[in-house]
Amino acid sequence: MRSNKFGIRIAASALALAVSYGAQAVTDEDIMNDANTPEDIVSYGMGTQGQRFSTIDDLNASNIKYLQPVWAFSFGSEKMRGQESQPMIKDGVMYVTASYSRVYAIDARTGEEIWQYDARLPDGIMPCCDVVNRGVALYDDKVIFGTLDAKLVALNKDTGKPMWIKKVADYQAGYAITAAPLVVKGKLITGVSGGEFGIVGKVEAYDPNTGEKLWTRPTVEGHMGYVYKDGKAIENGISGGKAGVTWPGDMWKNGGAATWLGGTYDPDTDSLFFGTGNPAPWNSHLRPGDNLFSSSRVAIDPEDGSIKWHFQTTPHDGWDYDGVNELISFDYKENGKTVKAAATADRNGFMYVLNRENGDFIRGFPFVDKITWAKGLDPKTGRPIFTEDGRPGDPNATNGTKGNPVVAQPAFLGGKNWMPMAYSQNTGLFYVPSNEWSMDIWNEPVSYKKGAAFLGAGFTIKPANDDYIGVLRAMDPKTGKEVWRYENTAPLWGGVMTTAGDLVFTGTPEGYLKAFDAKTGEELYKFNTGSGVVGTPVTWEMDGEQYVSVASGWGGAVPLWGGEVAKVVKDFNQGGMVWTFKLPKDRVASN
Amino acid sequence: MKALSGVIILLLVFQLAFAREVDDGDPLLNRPADRTYDIIIESGYLKVGVYENFPPYSYQVNGEPRGIDVEIGKRIARELGVEFRVHWIVPDENLGDDLRNNVWKGHYLAKRRLADVMMRVPYDKEYAYMQDSTGEYINEQVVLFGPYQQETWQIAFDPEKLDSVATVAVFQYHPIGVEIDTLPDFYLTSGLQGRMREKVRHYPNVTSAFEAMRAGEVSAVMGMRAEIDHELAKPENAAFEPASNGFPGIGKQVWDVGMAIKHTHRQLGYALEEIIGNLVKTGELDTVFANLDLQFSVPQYYREFLSEEAIARAEGKLQGPQ
Repeated sequence: MRSNKFGIRIAASALALAVSYGAQAVTDEDIMNDANTPEDIVSYGMGTQGQRFSTIDDLNASNIKYLQPVWAFSFGSEKMRGQESQPMIKDGVMYVTASYSRVYAIDARTGEEIWQYDARLPDGIMPCCDVVNRGVALYDDKVIFGTLDAKLVALNKDTGKPMWIKKVADYQAGYAITAAPLVVKGKLITGVSGGEFGIVGKVEAYDPNTGEKLWTRPTVEGHMGYVYKDGKAIENGISGGKAGVTWPGDMWKNGGAATWLGGTYDPDTDSLFFGTGNPAPWNSHLRPGDNLFSSSRVAIDPEDGSIKWHFQTTPHDGWDYDGVNELISFDYKENGKTVKAAATADRNGFMYVLNRENGDFIRGFPFVDKITWAKGLDPKTGRPIFTEDGRPGDPNATNGTKGNPVVAQPAFLGGKNWMPMAYSQNTGLFYVPSNEWSMDIWNEPVSYKKGAAFLGAGFTIKPANDDYIGVLRAMDPKTGKEVWRYENTAPLWGGVMTTAGDLVFTGTPEGYLKAFDAKTGEELYKFNTGSGVVGTPVTWEMDGEQYVSVASGWGGAVPLWGGEVAKVVKDFNQGGMVWTFKLPKDRVASN
Repeated sequence: MKALSGVIILLLVFQLAFAREVDDGDPLLNRPADRTYDIIIESGYLKVGVYENFPPYSYQVNGEPRGIDVEIGKRIARELGVEFRVHWIVPDENLGDDLRNNVWKGHYLAKRRLADVMMRVPYDKEYAYMQDSTGEYINEQVVLFGPYQQETWQIAFDPEKLDSVATVAVFQYHPIGVEIDTLPDFYLTSGLQGRMREKVRHYPNVTSAFEAMRAGEVSAVMGMRAEIDHELAKPENAAFEPASNGFPGIGKQVWDVGMAIKHTHRQLGYALEEIIGNLVKTGELDTVFANLDLQFSVPQYYREFLSEEAIARAEGKLQGPQ
């Protein structure tokens, strides 16, 4: 159907347009300078530090009412589910991914398709973590993204034809890639997603021109890291020094700690920052110890993959509080001195401000209304002070009964999940998409797996309040105070962006793209895109006008889990679109 | 000549059909066919869901499906008067996921793909009628029926390393191999207040745990009895022996294994239940197991109403007609 003559003609003319416009190759300088160049978006995070702050101030509280849709684009087919992508923009072309490992190049002025690439996924693939994809990396003449079968694919930016395809890990062993890779100093960096068991998280660097592997760094203590030279693997030190320090027996061999959300890069300290997932197996009573480097933030040298420092948010995790959430670099002044800091809002409900030069804990504070599993953080180290009886019980100690259910808040889906927050250089505030929910966990003695008796855990997720689950919060990283909040009925699952025009953008599962006043939280704008927004909005400048884009299409992890939360979201329809808006030139100065 | 080549082609097609799956879903609406008993009989085939790479239950040898669940699947298809067609199941995190993906709803990446009947589904009333916190029946979309095997936990050991396995306490001192994320894994990692934890070695499956035992990495392996028997029957594992220890506090030592169908397809269930019941009672199933070097124990379900003599016949200990 797609290959009718008319379609070809449109695609060809759009391609000609893009090429004639003089599309340039993306350089390392472009990527490092991305946060300061409003005419393009060539990194995930709108700058490698991941602040998602745009310097454009045309659009502001007084004229946002004139923001108008200019085009919408359908991803097509029946794969209408979970559009968590962040679009990229280069020379008037948008590069955006859709669920099921699809990539599109679209004329950013008209919304016409230039090319589309559908990764051919193997039969019988069972991705652990839904079918989402969060975006591409751009480098030179290539558009590079990761697939559900754990491959990196480099496409020609003008034709969409594969230039190289590289297997990063074995999908049959439970690996996948859903995050956007990043390019740092000529190296393509990626993490991996993985199921609960048997996998080991890692961060790897590849040559973006050839797909050749440059280094690998496992994120579980005891595994050897390697640097590759002339096709040879050279040992580059064991993660954590040696095996078995914070893990019992041989459990480090399958320790989990997947790096499934990708990472950020800070040029000031020349560090990659990656978060790591929960340890395996789920039952924490089987693995006494801190289980490094699970549920941590790890600073990595982009040159060879060495670990510079780590900070563990949930040692000996027993609640599935993945520590993957993004670590955003930012500077602030205190007593006349500039502090090189980085902040992260964890699944476990605490927000942390760290010294990004050495990983030292500066301060931490809750960003959700209630935390039950810990009484607080040690003021010196940031280590959680566990609540007595706050840990889910040992299934083996209950002798075939359910034992006592434990109520834990936040639920394992987190005070904040994958959706990236934003930092405004104007207000000095972080805008955190968060959720208020708890979970009951109990041991499930009547359980089977692959034809065999098993010991599972049962759980239900419950909203903490009757009338809302999602809360978009403005958090002050210097005081830990919530400056304002916006409450949303459904859980928030989309990323956030903020601008020099003092606006904060995010989407809701109800379908809206919304904008708020960055100082007061007043809702200034909403537009219904027709399906839940779980993507991350971006803004850029083209032909002297400010544009805003966001992917729309309900999905992701929330609808996969039942319980009372499902009642809130069960009527939301899936979708697959990207919507683009602009502020017309003549409205910039209007009031 | 022409007719003959036609027959040969037909035979070839038939051979291929065995190994390859049928796609009989609705491509336009992207949903599975609603294969009731009548439609199955009319179509001439039965899609039997079995786990992939799971010896001795179901696996492939040179592209051909093999194993006890495949053999039983072929028998019930034959009794039903239709062809056996394989439906491979990639195991998900638990049985509930596998039933959803393969019996009643379909996986979201393969919505047209469902088995008519799934094998190796534990037959457990408590599981079948389990309710969630709101009182809804979790497994109401499926019917569990037709138990055809009793499964149990078992250890095999290397007599060079261990004289015997009197109790599991020896694994405080001797390394033991398990498949990762199974009950033996949890049991040995947490049992005896965790004192065996340091000696537990994790492998992707029982076959690789036996490889490790041959390499001297572990002194014993724990798994399901059929898995252990299957390994012990291989010449390369001839030096190893089955243990006779108990598993105190393991929760579930023995369980019945049967089949599952979608709850709207009960007529198929009744037909298959009768077929499998006869195979059990006549002792034919015992023969099928014995041919694969496996032991057959009559499921608990039949023990509650069969006489001792009938049970003995089912287990091949009495010859002759009923």
